[in-house]
Amino acid sequence: MAALAGCGRALRAAGAGMAAGRSGRRQRSAAAGTVSPAAAPLGAAAGPHHGAEEEDGMWAVQRKHPETHGFAEEPAADARNMRAAFVAGVSVALVLGATFLRYLPDYGLRQWARREAERQIRAREAQGLPLVTPDYYDPARLPLPPAGD
Amino acid sequence: MLKIIIPTIMLLPTALLSPKASLWTNTTTYSLLIATISLQWLNPTYFPHKNMTPWTGIDQISAPLLVLSCWLLPLMLLASQNHLQQEPLVRKRTFIVTLTTIQPFIILAFSATELTLFYISFEATLIPTLILITRWGNQPERLSAGIYLLFYTLISSLPLLVTILHLHTQIGTLHMPTLELTHPLLTHSWTGTLSGLALLMAFMVKAPLYGLHLWLPKAHVEAPIAGSMLLAALLLKLGGYGIMRVTLLMGPLTDRLSYPFLALALWGALMTSSICLRQTDLKSLIAYSSVSHMGLVIAASMIQTDWSFSGAMILMISHGLTSSMLFCLANTNYERTHSRILLLTRGLQPLLPLMSVWWLLANLTNMALPPTTNLMAELTIMIALFNWSTPTIILTGLATLLTASYTLFMLSMTQRGTLPTHLTSIHNSNTREHLLMTLHIFPMLLLMLKPELISGVI
Repeated sequence: MAALAGCGRALRAAGAGMAAGRSGRRQRSAAAGTVSPAAAPLGAAAGPHHGAEEEDGMWAVQRKHPETHGFAEEPAADARNMRAAFVAGVSVALVLGATFLRYLPDYGLRQWARREAERQIRAREAQGLPLVTPDYYDPARLPLPPAGD
Repeated sequence: MLKIIIPTIMLLPTALLSPKASLWTNTTTYSLLIATISLQWLNPTYFPHKNMTPWTGIDQISAPLLVLSCWLLPLMLLASQNHLQQEPLVRKRTFIVTLTTIQPFIILAFSATELTLFYISFEATLIPTLILITRWGNQPERLSAGIYLLFYTLISSLPLLVTILHLHTQIGTLHMPTLELTHPLLTHSWTGTLSGLALLMAFMVKAPLYGLHLWLPKAHVEAPIAGSMLLAALLLKLGGYGIMRVTLLMGPLTDRLSYPFLALALWGALMTSSICLRQTDLKSLIAYSSVSHMGLVIAASMIQTDWSFSGAMILMISHGLTSSMLFCLANTNYERTHSRILLLTRGLQPLLPLMSVWWLLANLTNMALPPTTNLMAELTIMIALFNWSTPTIILTGLATLLTASYTLFMLSMTQRGTLPTHLTSIHNSNTREHLLMTLHIFPMLLLMLKPELISGVI
């Protein structure tokens, strides 16, 4: 209980203001075994590093305009760029493009090949010809040299 | 063709003359609209071969690559918008002009029907890329990276130029559809073998093949994000596409000449995957994973069967999108922590949970999770190689295993684990970054539904 009370005192002292850091430290040394919050904001001790991050372009823009879309610093240009990119990229290119590609007729002639094969089979069976012949070209049309040369 | 090339060239005055407030809006929007129009190249009435102009044509191998190259320009612009925020307006314009200059050359390279035009555009893409890396890279090592990129490519492509000109005088034409009908010229003599090697080496360096890959980790790591995306998604595919085109000239040579390249490609896939497990630099890890995937593409292109070409095509497109997305994600890390070291950019899932969704999706596609197209590609290539020679399954299987392991390593290092204590604040993910990842992943997800668009001749 004493530890909890000490913790509460440390919290109130720290919450009272950053100037109460000294009291926080006193409370910390007084109430052994308690966890007291940091006396200063995290990262404040690392001075130059924190300052360098303020110069980071995106970080500064996000602090100034939390709703930035990442395209430009000025919100109107940012919104315009975002809308243009989304309309051209998603609505036109992805959606209309995908629709165009989906309805392309018989890509690679696969459906035609199936229909043509069935037609050829019907035609050859009607004429009594074999379905597949081992000769690719008609041998009668090939002028071969006389045998024995 | 003109309705793509002319708007692309007109992006140059758009970048130079747009007012400051709408520079990025104009260029991003117009390049996205150009990308939408480029989808008409996938119209199947054009295939097997359509002559768009007397010097360009399109078939099922070049159409997906052309669409990918048109798609990537707006993504590069979106990705670069943040790191150029602080630069003066003139430099922003110069950057966009550099990026846009590459675009017509890449379109020409992928659609050229004449081999000489292909060579000229292939070389022409090099200079703006060099400018991009050496001017806008972030570390002093970028100069060394530029030298490696430039000289590796130039040294290997000079023999290509000589051989192309020699073949032109012998055959009389270098029009690729006509070349398919001519008798193969190269024999197993020394001249023929060296000509065949010369034809291939430029593309082996570009692809890259394992022994010739040293330029790639340097160039990818030192390039700004747009440069990394360009290199990974497009310029490497120039190598793969070049191999596919040039092997039709090589005739009877490939049955002996393909062995060293196959061995290096498959062994390289294993080696670079293992190197990935030992990387400390995030961008370097993604760069080596590119070498690994492209090793499979080279192996598939060298055996020249229908299925292997199809697998190589699907892998080139899928890997282009996946690798570009991974570089964008690595760049979002870099912009926040200014460090690429894996140990220093850990545990980001609790900090940036939305971005971790994209990290997960990118890594899942990278490790060829079913039913992504990356898996379709890897399986097709593995089966084609197995059919060609049974022991290759050991190499490809191990490569797949290592790919999964280094991808999980990358995911768990960046997303899970203890946060490094030196990060006091990182800014939140913004809409632009989410849009960028969406535009990368949605084409991949949509292609799962219609993979025949990218599967080449099958």
